Amino acid sequence: MTTVDEPRTAGRQLLLDPGMDLTLRPMRYPHFFDRFRDAIRNTWTVEEVDLHSDLADLERLSPAERHLVSRLVAFFATGDTIVANNLVLNLYQHVNSPEGRLYLSRQLFEEAVHVQFYLNLLDTYVPDEQERFAAFAAIENIPSIRRKAEFCFRWIDSVFGLRELRTRADRRAFLLNLICFAACIEGLFFYGAFAYVYFLRSRGLLNGLASGTNWVFRDESMHMAFAFDVVETARREEPDLFDADLERQVTEMLAEAVECEVQFAEDLLDQGVSGLSLKDMRAYLEHVADRRLAQLGIAPRYGAQNPFAFMDLQDVQELSNFFERRVSAYQVGVSGSVSFDDDF
Amino acid sequence: MTSTAQSPPSDVDGAQPRRPAMRVRKRDGDTEPVDVNRIVTAVARWATDLDEVDPLRVATRTISGLYDGATTAELDKLSIQTAAELIGTEPQYSRLAARLLAAYVAKEVRGQEVASFSESIRYAHGLGLIADDTAAFVARHARQLDDAVDPAGDLRFEYFGLRTVADRYLLRHPRSRLVVETPQYWLLRVACGLSTTPDEAVGFYRLMSSLAYLPSSPTLFNSGTRHTQMSSCFLVDSPRDELDSIYERYHQVAKLSKFSGGIGISFTRVRGRGALIRGTNGRSNGIVPFLKTLDAGVAAVNQGGRRKGAACVYLEPWHPDVEEFLELRDNTGEEARRTHNLNLANWIPDEFMRRVEADGDWSLIDPSDAPELPDLFGEEFDAAYRVAEKKAVRTVKARDLYGRMMRTLAQTGNGWMTFKDRSNRLSNQTGVPGNTIHLSNLCTEILEVNSDTETAVCNLGSVNLGAHLTDDGVDWDRLRATVRTAVVFLDRVIDINYYPAEQAAASNPRWRPVGLGLMGLQDALFALRLPFDSAGARELSTRVQEEIFLTALETSTGLAERFGVHPAYPQTRAARGDLHPDLWGVEPTQTARWAALRDRIAAHGLRNSLLVAIAPTATIASIAGCYECIEPQVSNLFKRETMSGEFLQVNTYLVRELKARGLWTPEIRDRIKRAEGSVQGIVELPAEVRELFRTAWELPQRALIDLAAARAPYIDQSQSLNLFLSAPTIGKLSSMYLYAWKSGLKTTYYLRSRPATRIQQATVTVAPVVAADAEALACSLENPESCEACQ
Repeated sequence: MTTVDEPRTAGRQLLLDPGMDLTLRPMRYPHFFDRFRDAIRNTWTVEEVDLHSDLADLERLSPAERHLVSRLVAFFATGDTIVANNLVLNLYQHVNSPEGRLYLSRQLFEEAVHVQFYLNLLDTYVPDEQERFAAFAAIENIPSIRRKAEFCFRWIDSVFGLRELRTRADRRAFLLNLICFAACIEGLFFYGAFAYVYFLRSRGLLNGLASGTNWVFRDESMHMAFAFDVVETARREEPDLFDADLERQVTEMLAEAVECEVQFAEDLLDQGVSGLSLKDMRAYLEHVADRRLAQLGIAPRYGAQNPFAFMDLQDVQELSNFFERRVSAYQVGVSGSVSFDDDF
Repeated sequence: MTSTAQSPPSDVDGAQPRRPAMRVRKRDGDTEPVDVNRIVTAVARWATDLDEVDPLRVATRTISGLYDGATTAELDKLSIQTAAELIGTEPQYSRLAARLLAAYVAKEVRGQEVASFSESIRYAHGLGLIADDTAAFVARHARQLDDAVDPAGDLRFEYFGLRTVADRYLLRHPRSRLVVETPQYWLLRVACGLSTTPDEAVGFYRLMSSLAYLPSSPTLFNSGTRHTQMSSCFLVDSPRDELDSIYERYHQVAKLSKFSGGIGISFTRVRGRGALIRGTNGRSNGIVPFLKTLDAGVAAVNQGGRRKGAACVYLEPWHPDVEEFLELRDNTGEEARRTHNLNLANWIPDEFMRRVEADGDWSLIDPSDAPELPDLFGEEFDAAYRVAEKKAVRTVKARDLYGRMMRTLAQTGNGWMTFKDRSNRLSNQTGVPGNTIHLSNLCTEILEVNSDTETAVCNLGSVNLGAHLTDDGVDWDRLRATVRTAVVFLDRVIDINYYPAEQAAASNPRWRPVGLGLMGLQDALFALRLPFDSAGARELSTRVQEEIFLTALETSTGLAERFGVHPAYPQTRAARGDLHPDLWGVEPTQTARWAALRDRIAAHGLRNSLLVAIAPTATIASIAGCYECIEPQVSNLFKRETMSGEFLQVNTYLVRELKARGLWTPEIRDRIKRAEGSVQGIVELPAEVRELFRTAWELPQRALIDLAAARAPYIDQSQSLNLFLSAPTIGKLSSMYLYAWKSGLKTTYYLRSRPATRIQQATVTVAPVVAADAEALACSLENPESCEACQ
């Protein structure tokens, strides 16, 4: 094991070594490049999401459900911007692989599309200008959202001062930031938010929000998978970065994220929503947190089961009636040329 | 709400269901404690024949999702939802959820003092929902009709089907939005709207209530109501090449859309971009801006809050704007040139396919330079096209354009390949020159002649093959009986129908076409254990189609005997003795019956110019609880997304198989889910069982085309044939569609594909992420330098 806080010895180039590697051939991390290409094939645009029927649905929501939706969109109004900021300020700088940076550039574009989607959503859902401004100022005004934001800012700041990852401590700090954004923010806060959307969707409400969120969710799943891939690659290159202490920090971080999200749930479910009890929501969040730990090879903390059958539904293939909904299952990049003897 | 009221015992399925802190609010405003035993009793009442259902499980899970102070109505709804959520672990919960929902609906109807069918009609008539003549008919025969309502009818529904019915088909009070009819009242109302005697009504009701046959949605929505628009499809000819005609078409499309019709409309006659406009001496902007307007128009029409309007635009590939047309559904590029609500279809002459095959050139010709082309097919078209090529706007490689079509299919599923010559040559309606089919419809199964002044109309219904099985196979007698009833009532629609546009009213009584379809083929193949690509499957599907077509023709000539031939009969090929199988040059199997039929047709003619079309049956198959039309299953486990919400669908034939082998375990379910509904990795199942339960993605698509081609001689219109490729390439697609054309298919429908990546599964067991290991890395094509595996 290397000595703590000594500069890393330069042997072959490692992923977290400082620098701006520009060499795409030979490619060191082709799996990053594959993810980049997969992401491009999933391109979607905000204009494809039809929010038309949502406006009628908003009218039929109960006051409790309307409260839930207004809090939720207030969170969405700023959530993706925070993630994009961390990507630019921290991740892009330190993932020293041009193919990895290609993926991050793509991710940045996707975050921008998400921001645009939720901007469009709020402009549509909240016609009153003053109310709309209030929604965008949610991180100032709404305590349950502010707490989540502060959690994010704290982790952005934790590595913001680092220009280069020279020491083991630097690299561990960076990994914690990366894990925080992947596992806690995209992997837990967003997964929490998606659960509300899918709950409404399972009741046939707010299809437009759900179809856009479906695409956002697909992107976020990939962001998280990429981040975990980076973590795993760094772990393989520098096993000594990982130890019981790091595991403990990750577990604590997730536990804090769960509490932040539970507080948000208390706010959202404040007026009682039938089919979405706070207890079930907590169990769901704990279940998701356990999954993040498992993905990182860390023992689960809660042993919780997913209580939401409507989330089970997200795991199976979808089939839409084209009369009713736009199908989200098509790919953008298709290759090949005309031939007549291919197998089909 | 306080968190203490919300902190229940830890395990939802555990041993401590009783939570005195939770209270519900009754309709009168009083509150009472939630009583788990009362929920158990209410559930158990509907589960007497459902041995796998555990009422306590439903009750405890319902309470777990409840909040303190919820209403009893919320409690009822939540118990339905909760039962539905258990379908993935045990399909019997689907029946339970359906019955709880039926009880909920019945309560809502009774709450408005409606206790019988005739009272429901009287009530709805008073609210302005029911037509006067239907109301009078029901009042006249109230006793007999009320007695006909089958109390067991609702027990046959699966949850998804009944939910769809309750949310969208049952008539609602205009202001309170409460339903004013039960599901059985609804079917009886539909029957009464189309009947002349109570016996007839009761017979048709019984057939529908058994779910062995259902008419299409517009009939189910509108029969017996004040607006009896019951047709599904309208085929609108291309606007003439002038502004007034284009705007007239917008108006017509809007009117047709309003009452649930799906629209096919051609734009082939409208000049392309850059063509001269003499009146202003300007240049045309082509068809795209006009289609953009159509797109907005279609989206604006809401079909009674039940679904959005829908239209498909057809274009022949020699039109100069064809490349821009193929980009209309792309999700990037200038929004002014994108139409997200329109479907697109190519109307392809054989000459194009021949040039693709021969790697020849293809001329793009402005319709203002060759206005005759849309009305010609076969050799006449070929000759006229070759002459018009001298005036070509541009010349492209046929293969480049074909490749572009394939890319559109792969990226959007749209740009359906439909074949103009085949559709015209093999049609009963094109018996004399001047009658031309200019396009198909929204779902590519209807092929009917139309013109500037006549819009083709078709009303549809589908036989549920799954409901016509015995232990030994298909119940042919029952199938024939169903077809006979179905044709009579499809024919009846033509006279009773309300035509929202004069062009539709001008066409339909002349041709009297109907489209009898089929659904549940996959059910029959599962039940009879025939893999989709087996010779047995092809034989059965062809035999069934022959039976349906033959019986439909027999019924139609019987109708002609009583009511006379349809007015345009002399213009049909049948009038000259050519029936559809003759056009294909096939030898039917039931020779004696065909011979007798020919004699009868020679003597009496036919009441209908067209009889059979296989529609996609998206919604009515759900109501009937069977697989869609002639399609293979898409997955053994999937969800449906509709306006009513999301619904898990499990292959119950597979579940039965797994249960019999003791394999219906959480672990196996998890594996099927992880494999996106495939059982190919379930090695505990014998190979032949896995073969039977392959999904559409796992079947050779050649087999789907072969099956379609084999049954096609017995379909005088066409079939909505979807094709499935999870990872389409231009090479695969171009081979596949060339094969489809060579097989003689008239039309194809969507290309279904799957997303490049998917949402990470949230509920199946996870393993730690493993970064690409050294071996995989060495083999990556992106790393050729370090790859040694293939050297």
